[in-house]
Amino acid sequence: MSRDRIIRIESEAGGLLEIRPQADADTALSKILAAHGSPLNTRCGERGLCRGCEVRLGEGELTVDNRTVRAPATVRACRARPGGPVTISIPTRSRIEHRPQIGETFEIAVPCAHDPLFSPDGTRDTGFAVDIGTTTVVVMLVDLASGEILSRAGGFNAQIRFGDNVLTRIDAARNPEAVAAMQTAVVVETLAPLLAQACERAGRGPNRIAGGTVAGNTTMLHLLAGVDPAPLGVAPFTAPFLAGRSLAAADLGFALDGLPAETPVRLLPSIAAYIGADLTAGAMATGMIYDDAPSLLVDIGTNGEIILQRGGEFTACATAAGPAFEGAGLACGTRAREGAVSGISLSSGSLETRVTTIGEVPVPRASGICGSAYIDFLATARAVGLLGHAGRFEADAWSRVPESRRLVDEDGARALRLGKNHPLFISEVDVALLLQAKAAIGAGIETLLEIAGIRAGEISRVYLAGGFGMHLNVPHAIACGLLPGFQPRQIRVVGNTSLAGALLALLDQGTLGEMESLRERTDVVELNLIADFEDHYVEHLMLP
Amino acid sequence: MDNLCSDMSDTHPLSQAIIAGKRKEIPALVQECLDAGESAQFIVESRLVSAMAVVGEKFKNNEIFVPEMLIAARAMKEALKLLEPMLVEAGVKPEFNAVIGTVEGDLHDIGKNLVAMMWKGANIDVIDLGVNVPPAKFVEAIRENNAKLVGLSALLTTTMPAMRETVKAIREAGLAAKIMIGGAPITTEYANEIGADGYAADAGSAVDAAMSLLRS
Repeated sequence: MSRDRIIRIESEAGGLLEIRPQADADTALSKILAAHGSPLNTRCGERGLCRGCEVRLGEGELTVDNRTVRAPATVRACRARPGGPVTISIPTRSRIEHRPQIGETFEIAVPCAHDPLFSPDGTRDTGFAVDIGTTTVVVMLVDLASGEILSRAGGFNAQIRFGDNVLTRIDAARNPEAVAAMQTAVVVETLAPLLAQACERAGRGPNRIAGGTVAGNTTMLHLLAGVDPAPLGVAPFTAPFLAGRSLAAADLGFALDGLPAETPVRLLPSIAAYIGADLTAGAMATGMIYDDAPSLLVDIGTNGEIILQRGGEFTACATAAGPAFEGAGLACGTRAREGAVSGISLSSGSLETRVTTIGEVPVPRASGICGSAYIDFLATARAVGLLGHAGRFEADAWSRVPESRRLVDEDGARALRLGKNHPLFISEVDVALLLQAKAAIGAGIETLLEIAGIRAGEISRVYLAGGFGMHLNVPHAIACGLLPGFQPRQIRVVGNTSLAGALLALLDQGTLGEMESLRERTDVVELNLIADFEDHYVEHLMLP
Repeated sequence: MDNLCSDMSDTHPLSQAIIAGKRKEIPALVQECLDAGESAQFIVESRLVSAMAVVGEKFKNNEIFVPEMLIAARAMKEALKLLEPMLVEAGVKPEFNAVIGTVEGDLHDIGKNLVAMMWKGANIDVIDLGVNVPPAKFVEAIRENNAKLVGLSALLTTTMPAMRETVKAIREAGLAAKIMIGGAPITTEYANEIGADGYAADAGSAVDAAMSLLRS
């Protein structure tokens, strides 16, 4: 045991938390903090590749990659090992939030028969629908006889500690032990507690569960089923399985007091390696697959997924937007949750900001800025002339911003505060990341439409699902170029359609066959192989 | 040169248009240079090279970000599209050449294309093999072109092993080319581990890294 290893953690409110780690001297600071209830955003899987787990070293010294670093310094906690006493502070952006707000709102727009996948008998009358996201997981409990939603529970996918995106997860699943560990993380640590919570909220025991359905991206379904996802990580991206499959709870290691071992868990069909069952579910739940006129479904997550329907023919593509719209990687970014800034407007003359928050939390107490507010900012800051085409603050507009609302860091990077001396701000670096995210989606849509030979104006309806939840200002999304060439009347914001589709399959088993046939009928376009995609992408990096 | 270039008033209008990414203005400005009697080689070596040096420098100093750099690179590409046939016709060959590609299993090329453009902007003759390039194809291209430098790109963590395989194949073929690697998941440590000669964190520093390898 080394000498007096004490870690003092300063909170932003001025409090001090002291921990005395028992772990051996070779344990990374990030692991020690996680074990003591302060998990960090170790999104690259603690490999020292990202800056998600940066902490500020206020006093003392740390060994970082075998070198001694003395305070004051900023270090990546996954690289750092404490020897003696240290005082650190953890920036909000490095913390994993404890209570995620899950996109629970959605609409099912397709007519639905009452034909449950698991027919209720006297004792087993309850089913569950699940959306397994890379970041968040939602479980919904349903009465199979009445179709009534009984309860919901949501939380983080415990696999986050292996990486924050599907590629880092695939990479982490290098051997059978690692695949098993990730299955355990999602089943035992995530799904089982959420289902228990949903049962408790509904006042029904797990012994009443007849079965469940699961939607999610292709990688998440592989890791749930315990199937090696390695082929999903390298071209030609051949998925080990795409068709829907039924597994028994016991096969997944899914155990809950009272839940029968043979309880069936039905995975919805995926279309391709990067066009998952979440999109199949969404295409079904929005009813777009039955639309008479051409329609488009855009599901915005870390991976954007886009599917076009025309005359009953389908073309789909995936586009790597990154997590910016979910608030990750931005200076003050957060997910759409209570207390987050969800809307921003700028007045044209004085460049005053007006801000709305989720849950009407007072603006000074707002905890972060979420995707919909960033979209507002891109659109309105461009409209009033604060942002130029390339996403930089224009000199004369910037000079009109009062000193108390400007922020310039040590590197000279500029940022606009949301109010006078407000702690939340949007920087030019944030704008650059947002432009890359919106360009990936905008260029993906444009390329897909071009391949199909159809113009935006000919699309009768665009269903916008995922990430933003229901807060998105549609005219602003169009103005900043996220949905190029569309009119607000064409757009319908539809929420978490992955969960909606899982619920639909549970209540009307006929839809499962439809989803399966969609999988077989969809042409998949690999955008990286389309020469024009890069050109469109660079074009869309600019603000219109 | 740095002083001259950072003072925009001394910079040629063609260089300024590239730095600002004004693609649509490029054809007319290139034509103006040609009309003024400048050779294609002179335009590349003075106007384009100085523009991309400014872009790289500004990027390193955090004065411009990825979007502006990509927009500038596209303007540069526009100029090269017009000038390259003339260079070929005049039989002009740059002092250095390099092979570049994205490793097998990886289809992402925006980062690789940007590095290729920066290298061209430093007057290196770049042979771009595209995406999903097997080790044997790298070996063949290096040998055929007698390339002094090869750039390997990988965006996916899952394709990093293919990068290791490619380095191994090049070494085993006994080729003298210096190997430089890059891409989002790549680090200096990884470059050392797999025996590459160099690493650049971004397209801005890729030119300096390439030049120091080529001149070593």
